[in-house]
Amino acid sequence: MISKDEIRHLGWLSRLELTDSELDRYATQIDEIISYFDKLDNVSLTGSDPARSIKKVSELRNDNIHVFEGDPLEFSKNRKDGFVKGPRMV
Amino acid sequence: MPNHLYRLTADQVASGIKNRDFSAQEYISQILERIEKIDLKINAFVAVDKQGAAEKARSIDKRIHDGEHTGGLAGVALGIKDNICTKGLKTTCASKMLEGYVPPYDATVIKKLKENDAIIVGKLNLDEFAMGSTTEYSKYGPTRNPWNINYVAGGSSGGSAASVAALECAMSLGSDTGGSVRCPASFCSVVGLKPTYGCVSRSGLISYSNSLEQIGPVGKTVSDVVMLMNAIAGTDENDQTTRTTAIETIPNTMSLDRIPKYRLHQNNRNIRVGLVKELVEGADPAVSKCIYSAVDLFSRSDCKCEDTSMKSIEYALASYYTIAMAEASSNLARYDNIRYGFDSNPEEYEWNTYFAKVRNNFGEEVKRRIIIGSYVLSAGYYGKYYLKAQKAREMIKQEVKSLFEKYDVLIAPTMPILPFKFGEKIDDPLKMYQIDIDTVVANLAGIPAISIPVGFSDCLPVGLQIMANEMEEQTLFDVASSFESIVDIHKSPEI
Amino acid sequence: MVEVKIGLEIHCQLTGLQSKLFCSCQCDYRGKAPNTNICPICSGLPGTLPLLNQRAVDFASMISLALGCKVPDKVMFYRKNYFYPDLPKNFQITQYNAYGITSIGVEGRVDYGIKSTKIRRVQLEEDPGRLIYDTSFYTLIDYNRAGVSLVEIVTEPDFAEPKDVRMFLNKITSIIEHLGVGDTKLDGSVRCDVNVSLEGGKRVEIKNVGSFRDVEKALGYEITRQKTMSVRDIEIKSETRHWDEARKVTKQSRAKEEEEDYRYFPEPDIPTIVLGNEFLSSLKAKMPELPDERKIRFLREYELSDHVAQVLIDNKELADFFESTVKIYSSSPNEIANWIVSDLLGFIDDSKREEGSLFSGLRIEAKHMAELVKMIDQNIINRNIAKMILGQITKTGEMPSYVLDKMNASLIDSKAIISEAIESIFNSEKSAVRDAKQNPNAANFLLGKVMQLTGGRADPKIALNLIKTKLAVLE
Ligand SMILES: [Zn+2]
Repeated sequence: MISKDEIRHLGWLSRLELTDSELDRYATQIDEIISYFDKLDNVSLTGSDPARSIKKVSELRNDNIHVFEGDPLEFSKNRKDGFVKGPRMV
Repeated sequence: MPNHLYRLTADQVASGIKNRDFSAQEYISQILERIEKIDLKINAFVAVDKQGAAEKARSIDKRIHDGEHTGGLAGVALGIKDNICTKGLKTTCASKMLEGYVPPYDATVIKKLKENDAIIVGKLNLDEFAMGSTTEYSKYGPTRNPWNINYVAGGSSGGSAASVAALECAMSLGSDTGGSVRCPASFCSVVGLKPTYGCVSRSGLISYSNSLEQIGPVGKTVSDVVMLMNAIAGTDENDQTTRTTAIETIPNTMSLDRIPKYRLHQNNRNIRVGLVKELVEGADPAVSKCIYSAVDLFSRSDCKCEDTSMKSIEYALASYYTIAMAEASSNLARYDNIRYGFDSNPEEYEWNTYFAKVRNNFGEEVKRRIIIGSYVLSAGYYGKYYLKAQKAREMIKQEVKSLFEKYDVLIAPTMPILPFKFGEKIDDPLKMYQIDIDTVVANLAGIPAISIPVGFSDCLPVGLQIMANEMEEQTLFDVASSFESIVDIHKSPEI
Repeated sequence: MVEVKIGLEIHCQLTGLQSKLFCSCQCDYRGKAPNTNICPICSGLPGTLPLLNQRAVDFASMISLALGCKVPDKVMFYRKNYFYPDLPKNFQITQYNAYGITSIGVEGRVDYGIKSTKIRRVQLEEDPGRLIYDTSFYTLIDYNRAGVSLVEIVTEPDFAEPKDVRMFLNKITSIIEHLGVGDTKLDGSVRCDVNVSLEGGKRVEIKNVGSFRDVEKALGYEITRQKTMSVRDIEIKSETRHWDEARKVTKQSRAKEEEEDYRYFPEPDIPTIVLGNEFLSSLKAKMPELPDERKIRFLREYELSDHVAQVLIDNKELADFFESTVKIYSSSPNEIANWIVSDLLGFIDDSKREEGSLFSGLRIEAKHMAELVKMIDQNIINRNIAKMILGQITKTGEMPSYVLDKMNASLIDSKAIISEAIESIFNSEKSAVRDAKQNPNAANFLLGKVMQLTGGRADPKIALNLIKTKLAVLE
């Protein structure tokens, strides 16, 4: 059974400030969903590794400089002297 | 000038404009008019770029008039799912977290469409960050099914399918992570393709689950989908997971009208077809009846149809959702309202508090998936869920591979049920997830799959899904095209 | 004696690259206006994908080989998931050892002096952006650094003493420099986290030690702190502390409300990279000479003493200076090496060792050193004169023969030069100095020696005054 506290902790790991009613609702729903996932218990861990795309080093990007034209943060609202303004650290 | 230009297939539009039967401007004005008139009912578009579309049409007409070269999609109206970045055009993923976000670059597929002179008419509705199967989880409200506006259009690319079905654009791009192109294509009675993983660049597709998703074309006919695939497929230096194939000895910047990658020819001679028993039998009888009768018609030709079984399907949904949510929980971490996002001032907030507060503006379903994703990756559960899901995925992939030694294509319903009414499943997330059972296999295995219309039940569309081995898009198109001509149910909804 | 165990995590920027690890922005972010060295990829915009730099893989593999690590047949990247305002994606793309997949280097070993340390792993990862704490209301963020390639070198806790750590870090620096993959003298290009535990005790991590010079100090402070606590029977907690550069102490980092869980998983946007034999053998062929090989060559080719060779190769610039000099004047490599190690090093401002060039502020070049040693060999000058000349050329960049001509042509009235002569006489004539302290007349004896040393060209009045002043301040 997944507890409200576990959901709260997961919310903290994901930086989601969940309301009490959200915690209640998610606890029930997520418990049901995770129980469904439990069927994966029957899958053997000895099976082969997941296949992924494979590339050789020579197929990767060449180490060349290409300057991006324009400001990628042009539309960001909180700017100061070219910096991006963020929340305080302490 | 014909006054129903908006009804034409992309094929017809492209040749009509090239042959000067009508101008791009005439066509586009009818399309924009059509959107204006009916999108209030359908809600497929989240933004329409009237000015951009009109300007592009004007320039195409001028170039045709001046005898200059134009691309293979010259003048064709396309809608783009709003999770694909369009430079200078808002791209929001139907989320508050990307409110007002204007990308400073084009997705690779958009660059290719522009090179081919397609006209992008607007951005299309979706479930927030492509997480959903009905387009009900959009901050812009749900997209309605053009065949019955009280029913869901499917999702997450609901806008992509509904806009094509409702004749608001000739074709569209969606994205398919676990069925997100095929589900709405089926529900709206249009053709939708999920390409082989790595076949189409994901650069500029806003990630939901990177290892599963692909951008996919939606059209009224198989032929249109082939045409759009020819424009967007190919390796891309901006996506290191794209793959090189034999088909791709063609430089991908080349305009598609010169060298097509995929060809349209019907072919079902000696094709070996496997009907996936578990999926047909698991479907609603109204759906399976339609599938059986289509297959019956089809097997009267020279192909060999038989029932087959896919045992590992048992683990497909659990594996799919575990992986998708895990990747999503990480992909969505970057939305912290510092560099982009809705209006908010971080000043005076302690950073953890700020992050947690702003991030609570994700929608209900997105938050649910982030939390579950975080859970299956957490130290105590990684082995039990994430790792097992990966092993199950590999098992499914192996089984699918072995099936393609026996069959050229596999057939199943696209969706196990008919389109349903709004709100019917929204309170039960697990039930909602379970309707993806027929589509997730293709994503887990990385193979191509297409949904084509095969009939109606109670005036609601039924789609048939064809899957082929990886990189076998051509086989898929051959068979899909044969089905299309045999079943021949193309019609348009009355709206 | 309580046993101390020290382990290191060294972060070293691959400043030898042109572009960042996952995008084509410039690797050299230093001195640029904030947020002008960024693109959609390194600023974490939606829809962007990491585009792995092939040369970064080359460099990280070279470092791994140089540290005696095994380099696997294939490597993967992982996401380390945690939130922090300097992380554009709120996860870091790094490497991880799990389920049979390893980072780019594992299980290495580095010898230094007579000791050695095991290397746990070498991994390739991205640097975050930079935070500037402007006011207490907000933070300013600059992403120019975000995405720069870092190699993290993790050692086993094999060190027992801070001075061993210092020797090891010298070696690492020299390896990086010799490989040409990074310039360790650039501000912030090498950083070090250290972990310290007393025998059987809890492990304390010290983060944020910004320069290698401070590592020894941070360790010294931390070991004393832990020993004091242990003597007073206060429990040492497993914790993370920060090095306070200004106050030279370690401070407890603010306790986290909740424990982090990095939820590592394979990065889906980067394919598995096949390295394999072909890659490794082509890389080995490309590998430049490493410090150990160079030392052996110095011993063999130039017959240097072990100590002198070690001092030279510990700092690539010094070793390069030596070899450039030998190239110009090849007759006396030993003499050249000794002059560099025992005399030239004395002119180097130690505080500048980690900022800019070792020779910054000094105007000496190889051609000066070559001529100087040649003049000694030809008995044109004696060692004392040579020392004076050396002092002069480091300041002016004049050729030794030119300096000598000037000295011969005129009375030396430069107080600096005369002082240097006096200094050397005071060192060699200790008993005469003691006599002169009692008996002012004996100062004349010293003056005579100074005149002799300077070939009779020192201005005697100035020299005598300087000798008297120097005698007066002697204890
Ligand atoms: Zn960049």
